[in-house]
Amino acid sequence: MTSSDDESRVVAGPSSASTTSSGPGRALVLVYGILAVAATARSGVQLATKYDEAPLAYLLSAVAAVVYVVATIALAKGRGVWRRVAWVAVSVELVGVLTVGTLSLVRSDLFADATVWSDYGQGYGYVPLVLPVLGLWWLRRTGRTSSGQDAVPR
Amino acid sequence: MLGENGAGVSAWPGRRLPSRVGGVWIPLAVLVAALAFVLGGWAGLRTVRNQPVIWRQMLAGGGVEVVLLVQAVSCVVVALAGPGPADPPTFWGYLITTLLVLPVAGAWAFAERTRWSSVVLLVASVTVAFLQLRMVQVWFG
Repeated sequence: MTSSDDESRVVAGPSSASTTSSGPGRALVLVYGILAVAATARSGVQLATKYDEAPLAYLLSAVAAVVYVVATIALAKGRGVWRRVAWVAVSVELVGVLTVGTLSLVRSDLFADATVWSDYGQGYGYVPLVLPVLGLWWLRRTGRTSSGQDAVPR
Repeated sequence: MLGENGAGVSAWPGRRLPSRVGGVWIPLAVLVAALAFVLGGWAGLRTVRNQPVIWRQMLAGGGVEVVLLVQAVSCVVVALAGPGPADPPTFWGYLITTLLVLPVAGAWAFAERTRWSSVVLLVASVTVAFLQLRMVQVWFG
């Protein structure tokens, strides 16, 4: 689809440097994948068995799950349009964890049950908070090495 | 009256058998967690040494997977025979996930020929061990 990106990648030197799924990105994608499965399964069970108990929390969990799935696929593909998708997904993820994390602390009445992003992802060892930061850093770093492409699309 | 110290007493442990059998797969969970930690330790060692995963680690992962399959079967048998997990959807979700982690992560790791493949195997191993803990917790509620 986006042949220009592929060409610039070849010119860029070490072939693995510009894709987001190799090197450190290999481990990053795995952690994203695990979180995607965890969030999807959890929200699926919650929505199916006890949606009425905490609709907002469970819908937010479902949104988070979709974001993680998209981020995982985009980072695994790592080139062309997928790189932009990854930027958007990881950014949404960071905004989500910061917003929901803050809201869950100051307006805990809104959330009848915990989401992946509650208390900044405390229930998941703060991985949901650390991961988007690592993701953005990694996208920026791999973006620099592929010469034909801007690191931050605005 | 008769049951005070007669046959009635010995009959009761027999009736409680199903709930006790519930713990039969627990030793397998401990075994899987221990094996996963060994595999993870091996991967960690190779990470520190700047080495990628090797085929022997894939075979070792396959060994862990065999134990996981035995565990899965025993969980199904135990759940059919007596009181199953306290939270069935979550438990079976964990069970399926724990079966998938090593094959998927193993393939994902083996395609990468840097030390980061060892990091992938390390993360996958720790995940399997953690899932065993969660399965035990969810079983008892």
